Amino acid sequence: MDQLLDVSLFNSALRMVTPILLAALGGAICSRAGLFNVGLEGLVLFGAFFGIVGNYLTGNVWLSVLFAVVCVMLFSLIFGYLSIHLKANAIIVGISMNFLALGLTSFCLRAIFHVKGAYYDKDMKGLPQLDIPLIKDIPWVGGIISGHSPLVYVAIVLVFVFQYFLFRTVRGFRLLAVGENPVAAKSLGIKVTRIQYGAVLISGLLCGLAGAQLSLGQVTMFTENMISGRGFIALVATMLGQSNPLGVAASSMLFGFMDAISIRLQGFSMPTNFTNMLPYVVTLVMMFFFKNKSYVQEARKANESSR
Amino acid sequence: MGALVQPVIAILLGLVIGAIAIAIVGGDIAQTYTEMWKGAFGSFYFFTNTLSRATPIILIGLGTTLAFRAGFFNLGAEGQMILGGLCAAITALYLPGPGWVKMIAAIISGIVAGGIWSAFAGWMDAKFRMNLLITTLLLNYIASLFAGYLVSYPLKDNTGSAAMAQTEMIEHSAWLPKLFHGMSLHAGFLLAVIGAVVLYLFMKFTVSGYEVRMLGSNPLFAAYGGVQRGKLMLFSMIASGGFAGLAGAVEVLGTQYRYLDGSLSTPGYAWSGIMATLLAGSHPLGTAAAALLLAALQTGGMGVERNTEVPLEIASVIQATLILFVSAKISYSFIKRKKAGAQDGSIA
Repeated sequence: MDQLLDVSLFNSALRMVTPILLAALGGAICSRAGLFNVGLEGLVLFGAFFGIVGNYLTGNVWLSVLFAVVCVMLFSLIFGYLSIHLKANAIIVGISMNFLALGLTSFCLRAIFHVKGAYYDKDMKGLPQLDIPLIKDIPWVGGIISGHSPLVYVAIVLVFVFQYFLFRTVRGFRLLAVGENPVAAKSLGIKVTRIQYGAVLISGLLCGLAGAQLSLGQVTMFTENMISGRGFIALVATMLGQSNPLGVAASSMLFGFMDAISIRLQGFSMPTNFTNMLPYVVTLVMMFFFKNKSYVQEARKANESSR
Repeated sequence: MGALVQPVIAILLGLVIGAIAIAIVGGDIAQTYTEMWKGAFGSFYFFTNTLSRATPIILIGLGTTLAFRAGFFNLGAEGQMILGGLCAAITALYLPGPGWVKMIAAIISGIVAGGIWSAFAGWMDAKFRMNLLITTLLLNYIASLFAGYLVSYPLKDNTGSAAMAQTEMIEHSAWLPKLFHGMSLHAGFLLAVIGAVVLYLFMKFTVSGYEVRMLGSNPLFAAYGGVQRGKLMLFSMIASGGFAGLAGAVEVLGTQYRYLDGSLSTPGYAWSGIMATLLAGSHPLGTAAAALLLAALQTGGMGVERNTEVPLEIASVIQATLILFVSAKISYSFIKRKKAGAQDGSIA
């Protein structure tokens, strides 16, 4: 612990970026489709919880990731149904989703595992760590990039997939059009509600993965409210990246790096309260420097009633 | 009366979902709900317990009601309440003078601390267009970590043997008086009731109250009518944070008698207050009633935990479904706003 920046710091940063990045991508897809998804926090919490439940039920890591994803997609459908179909205020629905996640996970924790606050099973196997054949032999770089859970690589690949999808495919353009101006999109015969439901489902899938990475990626455990604001930080990452996958990736990288630094600083005998504060403070500072008018307009667009 | 239909339907639906959850856990539905009722209102002692739990929830609900009415999503009640409670504790501990002076000064300092913390977020939005919803949330974490630091190091109580992160005990004369002998209900409840009535009258009968409602329901019309958004935003954020700070202060002076790390955030007062606001559609008196309902659910949940196999978290499940059902309906009052091109960080 004699130095701040070393291989293991970057390695853990990459690991901590993943949940934020996945959730932020989900937020980006939603906001591109004209929905402001405040429920990310709750969805990621559901993902973390159901990842553990799936593991408890099946004992197979891959099935538990799948289980988490499917469950979170179901919950994101609730969000979609209320905000798209019933035209409820998406922000309020998002906030209530967060409440639902908190209440339901702590209830199920008691109902299924009969424990309060946290569940930990030392025999439970988490996600395996992949060593990438060629890269792992490169000094320094190999130490950072290789040896993560598969979800980390999935997240990195997904950034480029979404970049391509949004700006290079017809379907992606339709999604953009829906977010840009739903009325115009509807007049062209684009199925607006269907595309919005699709966006919500995709964000559910991504949040499920994010949660699974949190609860199965490093230590296999679940604690109440273990997301502790990462969902909201992901929301900020979405805004800073202007809902552009590459931009979102860059801003998530920064926040994940701050997460890693804050943990590393605890080794420097600083009070943990201050080190834990770092990610939130940096998020605020970034919001100050990277305020852009475009997302203001985006918020406006999201507010024009038109479905 | 039409306004009451939706909440009542939502409550019934919430109880149905709760019944399903109870059945899944394998509990007896009728027995569980009976225990819940007993735990909340079963005796005078339990009833006053529910009222004292409702006190901070009502106050926070009033604050968020004001902010929501003006069209600002203040989700920072938790941080504002924590700083309010902390400042009240510090004032009551270190201000010289007789007990009643300490008590009043502590309450005022709580209100001021909450108001300043909330105004900070409002100022960032008004001046730098930083999304209020996010900044208030982030400030929650910063406030609770900072308060935790203060009571773990510089202000830590080293007199007793208990190694808890807490301040020293406030002297007896500065405590808020209890309303009934041997019960937990304290004078803070009266403050909450007075606050609800005052806020109701303010919203209904004053010019500023009208401006707040106007800004919330149609920002463009308000701007046209000469309402200054930035100024009104600062005002409503200060008032909203002040209510949350007051909630923290009465909780410290009336129940805890010291600031104990996590004692304000663990029961989830702030979030219950926001839920009460959502449940009542931002109506001051309705918010107070909804806060009472949520508090009854929580104390009832504790009764369920004591006497049945069903975990007390059943209360959180019912609460969350309540809010979800209500949120689907809330929308219609905001649809008018959607055309108004609302600012970011505002309800739309």
